[in-house]
Amino acid sequence: MDKPTERMENRDYILCECELEPLERFVASLEEKFEAKIAKAPSVCMTMIQAADSVEHQEFYLGEALTTECEVLIHGQRGYGVCLGDEPVRSYCIAFIDALAQLPGADLSYVEAFLAEQESIINKAAQLEYNQIMRTKVDFKLMEEE
Amino acid sequence: MGYVAVKGGTEAIHNASELAEFYRVKDNTTPIDVKQIRTQMRLAIDKVMGEGGIYAPEYAAIALKQAEGDVYEAAFILRAFRTTLQRNYYTEEINTREMFVRRKISASFREIPGGQVLGPTRDYTQRTLDTAKATETTADIHLFLEQVDAKIDPEKLQEINSFGKVIDLLKNEGLLKPIDPSDDRKLVDITREAIKFPAPRSARLQMMARAETGGLMALGYSSQRGFGGVHPTVGELRYGTVPLRVKDASGRLRYIGKIEVTECEMVTGSKPGKKNTPPYFTIGYGLCFGHNETKVICMSTLDSAMRRPELGAPANDQEFVLYHTEGVEAMGFTNHLKLPHYVTFQSILSNTRASVERSKKANLEAEAWRQLASV
Repeated sequence: MDKPTERMENRDYILCECELEPLERFVASLEEKFEAKIAKAPSVCMTMIQAADSVEHQEFYLGEALTTECEVLIHGQRGYGVCLGDEPVRSYCIAFIDALAQLPGADLSYVEAFLAEQESIINKAAQLEYNQIMRTKVDFKLMEEE
Repeated sequence: MGYVAVKGGTEAIHNASELAEFYRVKDNTTPIDVKQIRTQMRLAIDKVMGEGGIYAPEYAAIALKQAEGDVYEAAFILRAFRTTLQRNYYTEEINTREMFVRRKISASFREIPGGQVLGPTRDYTQRTLDTAKATETTADIHLFLEQVDAKIDPEKLQEINSFGKVIDLLKNEGLLKPIDPSDDRKLVDITREAIKFPAPRSARLQMMARAETGGLMALGYSSQRGFGGVHPTVGELRYGTVPLRVKDASGRLRYIGKIEVTECEMVTGSKPGKKNTPPYFTIGYGLCFGHNETKVICMSTLDSAMRRPELGAPANDQEFVLYHTEGVEAMGFTNHLKLPHYVTFQSILSNTRASVERSKKANLEAEAWRQLASV
């Protein structure tokens, strides 16, 4: 799993990387408290990926990625959900939580608790994978060293 | 060869398409689940995405299923699908230095930042046919996963690191070629404007990123064998995931997910510069979707080769390289040869017959003259 950078919104990282089923369940529970209107239904589009070579920093386009976007209104506050893949439910959930997070005065403690729980699961899985990968670290010896 | 329209055959064409589908399923076997294709045919999916020019693992799996495993056809399907959707976002430039590394190796240096990590590879094993795969069961897979899990002590986990780059070792010593101010560094998008030659490096890298692996390999290999004089060494090859970020409609920078990429920095031999200038190393660059090491090794070899057109080999000629490694176009043109060319061919046939007749007539006349002369 990628280490979130300072620039990256930790919330988006967790919402994009967590399992869909608990996220969907959590947002469904919030819908009972906050009435959401879909301003823009989830739809797929393309995102062009920009890259650059690592020495001369020559920029170029690597290719496109399938993306889903959605917009949700909660009490007039607009939230945007954007994620990779054909993911209508996830993009809706991200937009919902984005709107909620910007809603003045909203109690976000239960959102924070959900995010913390999911982050812990994501990080644990990433750490396990990383440790499996590190089992393949090698220290080649030159023949004359033996 | 020219094109000519034909009409008719609608029913036969429909039936032929139906028959192709019939042959896909006629043995009445269990339908292959798209998730199975995506996970167990990982490298084929990566090729389809890389050559289709679109990162969409699920859709690549569907395309591969639809195309009965033909990677060219699946890439063609994805490339066509790509054109049906609007492009709404551009990512921030991806940074492979923040990659979650699954594999990183160097053939140039034994000791590299963070060490050599072999990752998932078959490079060091014999390619013997594993017939046990024919009878693999779900229970076998579960047992294998349990055994792999058991090799890690969850109480003693290392923290995740990102790693410095091998090329920094050369850069810090001042051994890399300085940027040539005369280089055309313009950023172009070959999906929006037709390529013109000489093409800027951004166009060359973009075209190679979605080129066909076999085509890149053929030309990259020709260069490695000496046709064009690029003698490369893998400075660093890494595979892993990198995060993508875009600005949403409100202008805020948002994380939208991660993609798998393979990257190669190829060090090309030291070359004496002009008089009184020191020799230097140049770096060829390769980057593509998914896990495809052959592709990035050849891409980076050709990136270097195309910067030395004076050497004159096919791999040094950017028009030759870029047009002939564009898999979808090459496949399209090759396969169009099967389509009706009746009028064109009739014209050639008619010309050939007339020419043969003229030749016969000329021979007869020549023979008649010879006979007259001998009388």
